Amino acid sequence: MTADVSITGVRQEFGDFTALHEIDLKIEVGEFVVLLGPSGCGKTTLLSILGGFLSPTAGAVKIGGKDMAGVVPRARPTTTMFQDYALFPHMSLLDNVAFGLRMRGMSRRERNAKAREMLDMVGLADQAKRRPHELSGGQRQRVALARALAVSPDLLLLDEPLGALDLKLRRQMQDELKAIQRKVGTTFVHVTHDQEEAMAIADRIVVMNQGRIEHCGTPEEVYLTPQTLFTANFMGEINTLQVRKAGQGVDSPLGALKLEPTNGTLCLRPENVGLSGPLDLGQAVLQDMAFFGSHLRCHFRPVTAPEMILTANLPQGTRLQTGDQVHLFGNSPVLIAEEAA
Amino acid sequence: MRYLSWIYLVACFIFILLPVGVLVVFSFQDGRLPVPPFNGPTLKWYAEITSDRDLMAALFNSLLVAAISSLVALLLGFLAASGLARVVLPGSTLMRALLIAPMTVSYLIIALGLLNYFNNIGIRPSLLATGIGHVVINLPLCFAILYAAMGEHQRNALRAARDLGAKEWQVLALVSAPMLAPALGAAFFLAFTFSWDEFIIAFLLTRFDVTLPVEIWSMLRSGLSPATNAVGSLVFLVSVAVVVLLELTLFRKVGK
Amino acid sequence: MRIEAHEKKVGVTLVAPALLWTLAFFLIPFAAMVWLSFSHMEGRDIVPGPDFGNYIKIFTDDSLFRGIVVSLEITLTVTVISVLLAWPLAWIIAMRVPKRWQRLALMLAVLPFWTSYVVRSYAWALVLGQKGVVMDFLTGIGLLAEPIQIMATRSATVIGFVHFFVMLLTLTIYANLVQLSPNYMRAAQDLGASAWQTIRLVVIPLTLPGVITGAFLTFVLCIGDYITPQILGGNNELTMPQLIMLQLGRRGDFPMASALSVVLMAIVTLAYAGCARWLRMDRV
Repeated sequence: MTADVSITGVRQEFGDFTALHEIDLKIEVGEFVVLLGPSGCGKTTLLSILGGFLSPTAGAVKIGGKDMAGVVPRARPTTTMFQDYALFPHMSLLDNVAFGLRMRGMSRRERNAKAREMLDMVGLADQAKRRPHELSGGQRQRVALARALAVSPDLLLLDEPLGALDLKLRRQMQDELKAIQRKVGTTFVHVTHDQEEAMAIADRIVVMNQGRIEHCGTPEEVYLTPQTLFTANFMGEINTLQVRKAGQGVDSPLGALKLEPTNGTLCLRPENVGLSGPLDLGQAVLQDMAFFGSHLRCHFRPVTAPEMILTANLPQGTRLQTGDQVHLFGNSPVLIAEEAA
Repeated sequence: MRYLSWIYLVACFIFILLPVGVLVVFSFQDGRLPVPPFNGPTLKWYAEITSDRDLMAALFNSLLVAAISSLVALLLGFLAASGLARVVLPGSTLMRALLIAPMTVSYLIIALGLLNYFNNIGIRPSLLATGIGHVVINLPLCFAILYAAMGEHQRNALRAARDLGAKEWQVLALVSAPMLAPALGAAFFLAFTFSWDEFIIAFLLTRFDVTLPVEIWSMLRSGLSPATNAVGSLVFLVSVAVVVLLELTLFRKVGK
Repeated sequence: MRIEAHEKKVGVTLVAPALLWTLAFFLIPFAAMVWLSFSHMEGRDIVPGPDFGNYIKIFTDDSLFRGIVVSLEITLTVTVISVLLAWPLAWIIAMRVPKRWQRLALMLAVLPFWTSYVVRSYAWALVLGQKGVVMDFLTGIGLLAEPIQIMATRSATVIGFVHFFVMLLTLTIYANLVQLSPNYMRAAQDLGASAWQTIRLVVIPLTLPGVITGAFLTFVLCIGDYITPQILGGNNELTMPQLIMLQLGRRGDFPMASALSVVLMAIVTLAYAGCARWLRMDRV
C-alpha cells in the first residue's frame, strides 16, 4: 500500500549528455514529494527511473527496501499517472480502471467492484460506462488517478498530470490530489515545473536543475530559506544585492548593512520589502506603482544606488504617490554565500 | 521473440524485394529468356529498348500526359479548395462530396464511362482523352490534400492579405500558393506518379499514340523477354533516383 | 450582407471549374453508363431500355455469376492475408528497428512501389513461372522433385496482389503505430500487462481503425483491378474486371459491361456501408 524509497548515487547518461549526476534522495513512507524544476532538469528522467522505464547508468533504487535493479515496470510496486493520461480510448472508464486488476488475474466481478469503488472515490461512479473521449480534461485526469491507484501501488508516480488543465481547474485538482493522497496513504512522487503547484501539494519539494538536486525541503524552507540562487529565483520573484564582508557587517550598493559578514548575494522577496522591519535599507524614491488586488506592487529607486530598482509588494491601504521618498526596511533576508551560488 | 522478429523482417523483405530483384538482374541476361540460369551480364537489351522508337515515343507521351494532367488537376483542385475553405456556400458539403467522389470509383469504371461518353460526343481515343481521364482521377486527390492543408492560420493570413488591399488573384498567387507550397508539391508529385503509372484508362482511351504502361502491356503479349525487364528496370531505377533525390533535398529540409 | 454576397460570388467562381469538370467528365458519363446498363444488344445494335435483362443475366448466367464469386473470394483472401502479414511487419519496423534505421526500413519495404504496376505483375510472372527462380530454387535444394504449376492459377493472382497490398498496409499501419503515444504501451506494462497482453489488449485495438481503413482500401483496389488477374491468373477463371473487358473487347457489348460495372460499384458500396462505422471512428 505504501513504501519508502531510497535513491543512491543514481546517474543517467544518454550518449555524451548526462541527464542526472549522482542523485541521492530518501523518501519517507506516505510522503508527498514534488520534483520541481525547469524543463530538461532531469525530473522526468528520475521519475522514469523510478517507474522502471529507464535503467540508470549507475546507482541503486530501493522501494520498500527491495533493490529494483533489473525489475521491469510490470513487476514493480509502482504505477504512473502519465502526462497525457494514456487512457485506453477503446475501453470504458470501468475497463480502464479495472485493467491493472485484470492483469493480476482478478475475476471480472471482483475487479469491477473494486474499479467502481475507485471511480466513486474520484466522483465518477455514474460515468463508468463512458469512453475517455466523452470526458473533460479534469475528468480524464481523475480516471487516470483511479486507474493508477486501483492496483494499490506502494508508490504512485505522477508525470506533470495537471499540465494540460487550465489554471482554475488545476488549482482545484491540486486540492483533490492532496486529499486523495492523505486518504490512501500511498507515497506520491509528483513532477512539475509549476512552483505554486509544488507548494500547494508537497510535503517536501526537491528542486532540480541541470541534473542535480539544488535544494530539498518543506515548501516553507525552500521558499523562505533557499540554499542556492537558482532555488531562490525559481521559487518566486526576488530582489538580489551583491554584498561583501565589511567588519561586523556587509557592504552593499545600499551602503553598510547589519548582516553576518559574508561574500555573496542578499535575497529579498518583494513581500519582505516594506516600510518597517529589522533590516534598514535606507531611503528610496517611489518610481511607479500598480494595484494588484491583494497588494500594491511598487518599484523603488534607492537614493544611494539610483541605478538599481527594488520591487516591493506593499499592503493595499498604503498611501503613497509616485515621487515620494520613503525609508525602506527588509524582513527575512537570505544571504547566499558565493561558493553556494 | 526478438530473433523471431528479425527472421520475420528478413523474410518479408525477401518477399517484397524478390520480384524487383529478379526483374533487374535478368534485364542483364545474355539470352532470349529472363529465367535461370543467369548468363551475362550484357547491356544489349538496354541498347535495344533505347533505340526502340515506339517505346521512346510512349515514354515521351507518358511524361507529357502526366505533366499536363497533373498541372490541370492541381490548378482546379487548388482553386476549388481555396473557394470551399473560404466561405460556407449553400451545398458546400455536397460539393465536397462530389469533388471527392471519383476517388471511390474503380479506374476501370471511370474509363468505361468515359469511353462510352466520348464515343457519343465524338472525342476520339487519344492522348487528350486519356489526359482528361487522368484529371478526373487526380482532381479529388489534389483537392483533398490542399483542402486538408488549409488550416485556420491560413485563413487568417488570407484575411490579413485582403485586409491590406491585395486583389483576389494576388491573394491566391502571392500568399495562399506560397504558404501551401509543400502541400502543392506533394499533391503534384502524387498526381504525376498516378498518371504516369495508370494503365486501364490509357489502355481504353488511346489508340495510336499510347502511353508507356500500354506499350509495356503490348510487349508482354509477345511473352517473357529480357527487353521487358530492361524497360521495367529503367523505370524503376529512374523513379528511385528521383525519390532519393527528393528525400535528400526537399523532404530533409521540411523534416527539420 | 453585401460583403457576404461578394464572398459567396468569389467562392462560387473558385469552385466552379473543378465542379464543372467533375460534372462533365465524371458524373454525366457515370450516369450515362448506368442508363446504358438498362439497355441490351441485338446483333450489333443497342436497344434502349429500360430493361433489366443484363442484371437478370448476370445473376442467372453461370459464367457471369461465377465472376462475382471469384472476385469476392480472391479479394477477401487477399485482404485477410495482407493484413495478417503487414501488421507484424509494421509493428517490427515501428517498435523493434532502431529509430534511425526506421525510415530506411520503411523505404525498403515499399521500394517496389517505384516500378510500374504492369511491370510488377510481369516480374511475378517471371518469378513464379515453371522455369522461374522460385521453382529453380525449390527443385535445386530438392524440396520439390519437379516444378509445380503456380502461374495462371488463382495462387499467382493472390501472391501478386498480396505483394502490392502488404506494402500499402505496412505503410498505413506503420503510420498508425508511430503516432500512438508510447505512454499507452508504458501504461499497460506499468499496470502489469505482459508484452503479448500489451499487444493484444492495447496496441491491436488502437490500430484497428487504421487497419480497417487500409483493409477497405485494399478491398476496393483489389476487386476493381484488371492487370494482376489478367497477367498472373490467366483465363481459367475470370474476375469481374476481366469479364467487363471481355464484354468490351470481343463483343463490343457496352450495356453488359456497364451492368457489370454497376454491380461492381454496388459491391464496393456495400463494403463501405459495412465498415463505415469503423472508417469514421474517432480516436482520442
